[in-house]
Parts: sequence; structure tokens; C-alpha cells
Amino acid sequence: ATVRAPAQGIQERTIRWGHLNNPGHPTSLGVRKVAEVLLAKSGGKLRIREFPASQLGNEMQQQSALRGGTQEMFSASTTSLATVVKDFGLLDFPFIVGSSAQAEALITGPFGKAMLETLPEKDLIGLGYWGLGFRNVTNSRTAITKLEEFAGLKLRVIPNPVYLDTFRALGANPVPMNFGEVYTALETKTIDGQENPYSVILSNKFFEVQKFLSATNHTYTQNIITIGKKFWDQLSADERKLIQDSVNESRDYQREVTLKADTESLGELKAKGMQFNEIAPAEMARIRTATRPVAAKFSADLDQAKVRLFNAELERVQKL
Amino acid sequence: MGRIIDLYCEGLKALIALFLVVMVVLVFGNVVLRYGFNSGITISEELSRWLFVWMIFLGAVVALRQHAHLGVDTLVRALPAWGKRACFVTSYGLMLYADSLLFLGSWKQMLITAGDRAPATNLSVGLFYLAGVVFGLSAGVVLLYDLWRVITGRASEDEMVAVAESEELLGDVTSVRK
Amino acid sequence: MTIAVFTFSLIGAMAIGMPVAFALIICGVALMHQMGISDSQIIAQNILNGADSFPLMAVPFFILAGEVMNTGGLSRRIVNVALVFIGHVRGGLGYVAILAACILSALSGSAVADAAALSALLIPMMTKAGHDKARSGGLIAAAGVIGPVIPPSIGFVIFGVVGGVSITKLFLAGIVPGLMIGMALAIAWWWVARGEDIVPPPKQSWAAAWRAVVDGAWALVLPLIIIFGLKFGVFTPTEAAVVAAVYSLFVATCIYRELKLSELYGVLVSAALTTSVVMFLVAAALVSSWLITVSEIANQVVDFLQPFMGNKILLMAAIMVLVVIVGTALDMTPTILILTPILMPIVKAAGIDPVYFGVLFIINNSIGLITPPVGVVLNVVAGVARIPMGALIRASWPFMVAELIVLALMVLFPALVMVPARWFGV
Ligand code: NA
Ligand code: NA
Repeated sequence: ATVRAPAQGIQERTIRWGHLNNPGHPTSLGVRKVAEVLLAKSGGKLRIREFPASQLGNEMQQQSALRGGTQEMFSASTTSLATVVKDFGLLDFPFIVGSSAQAEALITGPFGKAMLETLPEKDLIGLGYWGLGFRNVTNSRTAITKLEEFAGLKLRVIPNPVYLDTFRALGANPVPMNFGEVYTALETKTIDGQENPYSVILSNKFFEVQKFLSATNHTYTQNIITIGKKFWDQLSADERKLIQDSVNESRDYQREVTLKADTESLGELKAKGMQFNEIAPAEMARIRTATRPVAAKFSADLDQAKVRLFNAELERVQKL
Repeated sequence: MGRIIDLYCEGLKALIALFLVVMVVLVFGNVVLRYGFNSGITISEELSRWLFVWMIFLGAVVALRQHAHLGVDTLVRALPAWGKRACFVTSYGLMLYADSLLFLGSWKQMLITAGDRAPATNLSVGLFYLAGVVFGLSAGVVLLYDLWRVITGRASEDEMVAVAESEELLGDVTSVRK
Repeated sequence: MTIAVFTFSLIGAMAIGMPVAFALIICGVALMHQMGISDSQIIAQNILNGADSFPLMAVPFFILAGEVMNTGGLSRRIVNVALVFIGHVRGGLGYVAILAACILSALSGSAVADAAALSALLIPMMTKAGHDKARSGGLIAAAGVIGPVIPPSIGFVIFGVVGGVSITKLFLAGIVPGLMIGMALAIAWWWVARGEDIVPPPKQSWAAAWRAVVDGAWALVLPLIIIFGLKFGVFTPTEAAVVAAVYSLFVATCIYRELKLSELYGVLVSAALTTSVVMFLVAAALVSSWLITVSEIANQVVDFLQPFMGNKILLMAAIMVLVVIVGTALDMTPTILILTPILMPIVKAAGIDPVYFGVLFIINNSIGLITPPVGVVLNVVAGVARIPMGALIRASWPFMVAELIVLALMVLFPALVMVPARWFGV
């Protein structure tokens, strides 16, 4: 490969931005917003072309495409980055934040920033995070109101050890499965349920095949916006600034649509006939206690400096 | 050289048969565990997928050696010997080019992902792309050897038609028990 | 321009005898050059990740099940069951072939395996009874077409994965159309064989019939396991496939004891190799499919077909004609792989139900297996039964026409497919 000198000024470029969500999902709305802002800022020169719904491949493929320089941008949950930088797994620990404000404070604070700094050595640049919302459990068997009701539920989880252990600790049977197969598996009752943010449950029509929706709020999922370092290195300082600014400026809009989608999605899921329930605080406390060993077990394997920073930050944000 | 390649392919056959058996055990085992014992093998899905990928690429080398990859041979068969040879050389030249790209791309991806850990098995993701590297190298040898035989006039006219018209003709489909 | 590069590089590479899988990679390379994004990693990423799919693991398992059924004596017993019930009626062996093809279809994923088994078992019997040999072969080749339509079906699996359509729904929606093709074949057979002078085999005693059913029961249970398993959600298609493989292995080795352990290695190697050929092709197709996504070929084709967009029936008819033409020269798997990424955006844009489209697309591809010049099922039947190719092609055309009529009716009346599909909850 030829090493190109950094470009001057702003050139005409098309940036392919892939993600896994369907059109209409807050992620997609966010991408379109960034595209709109960037197009205006660059005088029509920097165009973002959105490829939603895994059109460019699964998470692993798009991530390695960014690192290899064959795709420019990608956004997906930080969970998928844990295969690249293990410490991202900290964000998947169960019940670490109690509100989206706390989640926001954690990810925009020193810990979130420190995690972005781990990416360049993996050929990625992190431009920021978008909150995706709390994950909640749906299933076809029972309304989950207490710890014991997790027992024996076959729940699809992200193929990730933290999620597997969390639900094992709750007494459920976690089934790792690729997202693309979940609808059919739910429909055919191969599995009893799954866990995702409300907006994902709605846009993938899981309400058609699931009866119960319980506000477990077990994890807050953050999407991370990444751009390939190989591509980034070809950009001029001006171009980089325009892209970073567009992402930053779209943040408030994206947060708004996420919150709105979260509330509206829940309302619509209820309207579509899902039986929704919250879990009493005392029961939530029992559930939280049951999953406590998970964090301890996985922390041991991670970078201890990151773990300390993470714990200090948790103490700070949990007071919010 | 042909003998060595054939021996290598026999080894590959044993491996892909083994991989298929392990895939059956893992996936079937998961069904049994889920229904019979309300549990499952966590690594089953990921491990069986990776074995599947390795099986495909190792098997594809054997198929290349046996000229069993699917293709349309109607036109080529109608050509005289020199025409067959010209088509073969062109087509194998292009295939070598495609193969070298696949090798190079897999090599780059393997280096990029070598440090990543697969979520369930904790294996290096580089192992996944290694399948492409191994295929690229092995297929390169098979292609070069065939090409050399055709260019030096050692190959029969029949060998210059390098495709089959159906994937299933390579299995012994006529061995139906009567 | 992009469309021209795609078409000519692909056809050119295939014409000089390059395997379709490599032709697809070369086509991808040409597209990359044309789009100015040449990078070897695009090829590697798409090929490797294209093979990495749990749903596609149904392919090796169904192939393995098919091999085991033929080698392990399951296929023969199914033919026997059909034989004892309708073998003795006038022209009955033809109906036996059709009925057995329907049952075999419900066990195996492929037309070739079904046609091979039926020709080996039935053609000698049919010629002995006085049927014309080529005509019998033509019927059996055409009956093989049912194989990929009634589930399980490798065609549906590959289409479902590439086109993003529920494989379970496709499977359930394929059942009744497969039986309709069987009916059409029965009518065509009655018509062409009505003048033949035949001595059908004698009617079997009830005791003999009972024995055949008991003996065949182990084999006959499998379709029920698969269809009910899918319908009531006991397993996903991949799991249904592995259950079919394990079950047929169990019956062949422990119940019928016709598959010796010494033969097992050969069966495994053969299934693994067949899978490699199919799947390497699937993986290679994803290179050009990715590039088609990134370029705007699909949009160009949609624009081109704009005049048809308003009329679903006309659009479907146009697509079906295209698939028939492609199918004359190309085998099922490559046709699905090459056309799906181009056709699916059109189908979605026109508001056609993807499951309905999938069923018709697979039926059409399956008919392609018996259309000359390249008809793989014809080759198999001609080879197994030793019938000259020309005679077989002439003898098979009435059956092929019957199947095309069924297809045309389904284009004109989508309810023929969708109403029964709803019975199965699609
Ligand atoms: Na079938
Ligand atoms: Na054909």
C-alpha cells in the first residue's frame, strides 16, 4: 500500500457508514442527522452513505473492514468491541447504572474517554457514543416480577460471556444466538425470550411473537461510533474536525430521539398487546445481589487500572 | 508432485469428515441438552460455525484438485484441443490471480485480528481468517500444478475441462441400495 | 456501466470454463476496479464471513441426511410403500414415482439425490411393466423437481440466508405448491401414458402391504418430525437438519443395518465435499453481492424495471421469464446466488411478499434442473438409467410444460401459494 500524505483542505468524499439497525431506528436517525450536518458544513463535499440493517455484514465483518480500510464508518454496541479491547466488557456488567442520566455521565466522563483512547492501536478511531437505552427482557412464558421467575427461561443473549454469566446467575438458561435468527427462534419457541432495548424490540417486531415485557433494566447499551484509522489518517485536519464536529453536534438530537423512541416504543409495544410490568424495588435489589459475583469474576481478567477507574467512576455517577 | 498433492488431499478429506462429525455432535448435542436437560453448550454455536468455515475451505481445495467445482462446460467441450488449452490457461491464470488476492486479504485480516478473542470460545479471531490463508496457499499449489501440466502438454484433453455441472455428481449418488 | 461490468465479467469467465465460484470472485475484482476500491481484504472478508453462518449449517446436515438415506436403505423402503398401494393400478408405477418423489422430498433437500434414487429403483420396474423407458425417465426427472420445493430444501436455506427471508416460513409455504406440482405431473402422466400397453405388477396382499408399511415406518416418520418440529417450534431449520441427519444415521445403522461402519467414512467425506463445493460458491458470491450493495446496481435495475413496478403480476411474470432463461444454462445454487441480491430489492420495492416470491423463485430454479441444455437432473437420470440424452429431453418436455403451467398459474393467482401457506401459519 502507498502511504499518502495527509490531504489538504476538504476533498469530495463518500463515507460508507454501516450499522445493524433497521431504518427508522434511533441509530439510523442519528446517522442521517450526522450526514445532513456534515454535508452542510463541508459545502456538499463530504457525503455519508448509510448502509443500515447489516447490509455490509455482521459486526465482526464491519469492524474488521474498518480496521483493514475497506469501510469508513461503523456504529454498534460497545459489547461487540469487547472482542477487540476486552475492557469494553466493563460496560456490560449488570445493573451498574440506574438511569440514562447516570449512563450518560459514565460514558462522557473520564472512563468513556479513556476507552476511546484504547482504539487507535487497534486501527480504529472512536468519535463518541450514542446511548441506545436499557435492555429489558421479553418472553412468552411469564411476567418476571421476582428473581425466581427467571428459573429455566431459555433466553437468547448476545454471544458474550458477561451476558451468559449474568443470566446464569439469575437462574435462566442463556442461549447465545446470532441476532438474525432471534425472530424465527422466538416464533418457533426454540427459545422463550430475549433481551434488548425497547426500540430494538419494536423495530424487529418481537411483539408479534412475545407476550411479556418486564422492565429488568439490566444493562444500559451504548453504541460507539467508530471510523477506520487508515481512512482517518488520509483526511486533512479540516476534514477530521468537520466529521468530529458533526458527530458532536448530532449528539443532542440523537439523545432526544433515543429517549423519545424509548418512551414511544414502550407505549407502542403495550398498544400492540404486550403485557408490561415493572419490578418492585425490593425484588430488583434481590436480582441485583444475585448477579454480583459476575462483575468480580470478569474484573480479574481485565486491565486493573481500567477497572479501578471504572469503579471510581461508578461511585461518582451512582450518586447522581 | 501429483502424488504428494493427492496424499495431502487424503489428509484434508479425513479432517473435513472429522469436522463434520464434530459439528453434528455439537449442534445435535445442544438440541438434546436444551430439551432433555434445560441447558446448553455455550461454545457450541461459535465452535461449530468455525469448524464449518474450516471444513468449507479445506474441502474446496480437494474439490479444486478433483475438478469438482461447479461450472458450465458446454462451450469448452465443443472446442478443439488448442481452444481447450487456451481457455484453460486463461481461466487458470485468472483463478491464480483471484486466489492470490484471497490469500493476501486473508493474511492481512489474520494479522489485524490475531489479538482479538472470540466471545464464546476465547480463541484468537486470527484462526478464523487463517482458513483463508491455508486455502490460498493450498489452492495456489493445486492450480499451479494443473497449469504446469497443461502448458507442458502432460495433461489429457479431458483434464482441460476443469468443472462439474452439479455439486452432487461428485458424491456417489448412484449407490442407491436396491 | 456497472451492470455491464458485472454481467460480462461473470459470463465471460464462466464461458471459458472457470468454476462459477472463481468466476464470481473475478467478477468481484472487475467490479472493484470499476468502482475504484480495489482491496484484497474486501474479497477475504466477504468470503470468510459469508461462510460463517449458523443458518447455512443446515446445508451440510441435509446433504448428509440425503446420502445416508440413499445408502442406508431408507429411500428403497419409501418406494416400496408407494408401490404396495398404487403400483397395481393402470399406469400405477408412474403414480408410484410421483408419490415416492413427494415423500422423498420431505426427507431430502435436493432434486438430484431424489431423482437418482427413483431412477435406480423404479425405471427397471417400469420398463418391465411395458412403459416406454425414456418416458419413465422423463417423468422421474420431472418428479425430482419437487425435491427442493417440499421442505427440507437447500435452495430455500440459501435463498433465505442471502435474501434475508425466514427459512421456516419458506419451508412451510413450500409444502402445498410441491404437492400441486405432483398433481400436475400425475395428470400429465395419465395423458401421455394412456395409450401404452401395460402389464402392471399384481396387486399385493394386505399382509404384504402391512409389512411394507411397518418396514418403512422408520423412514416415513422423519418428514413428520421435520415438519411438525418446524411448525411447532421444536427446532430452527439448522437444528431440524441435524436431527434429520442423526435420525437417518440411527435408522440406517441400528434399525435397517444397511449402512456399515466401513461405508460411513465415505458417506461423511462425500457429504463434506459436496458441502464445500456448494458453500464455497455461496461464500464467493458474497463478494459481488457486497459490491452490488455498495454500488448502485440494484437501484439501476429497479429504475429499469420501473414500468413494471405498478403491476405485481406483470413484474413477477417478467422476473420468472428471466429466471427460466438463466435456469436453462445454470444450476440452482449459482442462479439463486447471482439473482437474489439483484431481485430482492425489486421485489421489496414492488411490495411483493418475499415468501411468495421465494417459493416461486425456487420452483422456477428447480424446473431449471430439467431444462436443456444444462439440466443436472436430466444428466443424472440419463446416467443412472442409461437413456440417451436426446430421447430423455424429448420425453420429459410434457412434464416440464405441466410444471411451467403450475408456475404460471401461481404467478396469475398468488392465492394458490399464500392461502395454503396461511394454513401453516406463515
Ligand atoms: Na425437500
Ligand atoms: Na437447465
